[in-house]
Amino acid sequence: MLNGSICFQQRVTQILYKDVKNAAELRRKAMEGNINGALVNPTMLVGPFQVLVAANKAVHLQTTGKMKTKTLNAEIIFNLSPTNNISEAFKRFGISDGDHSILVVVVHKSDEVQFVSDISAMVDGQQLPVDDVSSLSDFNKIKKLFKITPQEEKCGPLLDAVVCRMAIKDVL
Amino acid sequence: MAGQTTLSRFVGKADLVKQGAEGRVYRAQFLGKPTIVKERFRKRYRHPVLDEKLTHRRTVQEVRSILRCRRAGISAPVVYFVDYTSHCIFMEEIAGSSTVRDHIVSTQQANSCKELELQQLAERIGRILAKMHDEDVIHGDLTTSNMLLRCSSQDTESDLVLIDFGLSYISSLPEDKGVDLYVLEKAFLSSHPNTNVLFEKLLQSYTKSSKKSPAVIKKLDEVRLRGRKRSMVG
Repeated sequence: MLNGSICFQQRVTQILYKDVKNAAELRRKAMEGNINGALVNPTMLVGPFQVLVAANKAVHLQTTGKMKTKTLNAEIIFNLSPTNNISEAFKRFGISDGDHSILVVVVHKSDEVQFVSDISAMVDGQQLPVDDVSSLSDFNKIKKLFKITPQEEKCGPLLDAVVCRMAIKDVL
Repeated sequence: MAGQTTLSRFVGKADLVKQGAEGRVYRAQFLGKPTIVKERFRKRYRHPVLDEKLTHRRTVQEVRSILRCRRAGISAPVVYFVDYTSHCIFMEEIAGSSTVRDHIVSTQQANSCKELELQQLAERIGRILAKMHDEDVIHGDLTTSNMLLRCSSQDTESDLVLIDFGLSYISSLPEDKGVDLYVLEKAFLSSHPNTNVLFEKLLQSYTKSSKKSPAVIKKLDEVRLRGRKRSMVG
């Protein structure tokens, strides 16, 4: 579990699972709106910082009334994607029925820890330290999707290149 | 201050680093990382609609140019977040860096035969600017203070990082690239006296590296005769 703070005194809790057996059920619940968190495909993530950036932007856009999607959790998944296509964002960064690893992202106030335990009770899987997310990353797929050039990789870590694209995608 | 309150939503404590005519620059912690925040405040002397439009466009151009440079392999600060309502850009603080300006000044003062090292630096700047112009990025405010040297841990050669894309835009015109170099020439020679040879090295390496340099250098010669602004007489 990893806890970080973002804008408006909100907290972001990330929990990483492997060997998840009920991905299909979780996905259905999330789509019905019965899960108070975003379910993210960890193979498309380079590190937990990426999720903080996406969650911070989602909360900011929710407050200014400029979200592109209908809910905060959907907006977090959308913000992780380098493109402005919502369904593609869900396909790549959301979870699929056959997935075995899931990153749960919950935005909450610092005293609302109940939210987090409610969701973790629903997941049938083994918890991993969130910093291990990069052991699940599919780097080739990430580089291809984010169109990271070999020159750019020379001037800094992959995480920087990915975060930069996420932050700027709305004006490209 | 309006700016401080918007900032405080995102960062705990922001220290003002610099205030200019266009905006303020703060240093802060953002999502756990050392961050530079550049805020473009409202100009009350401008019509509100025009002000909003200009400020928004400059913010957008700044982040676009940064990404375009990074994609081409030119180091520039990582953008973490952009707030288009308060016109704040949150970007990476280049830790452990010094400006090219300070580096040249201190090397000259040391007076120990470091001439060769400075020439290599000038050539490196020339190559990077050639790459930037080949990507059609016009920096708009090239000075030795807007170039940072970041000491990297692995190799001996430090990383050259371009900063402050606040006046930058995208253009393929040799005229714009010529003016960009002219601005640098003026700034370079006034901040560093007796460096004509050094700047000449920079231009030589620019000419060698860029495919489109002949047209740009020709324009630079024209601009030198008339100054930065185009004559509209006649």
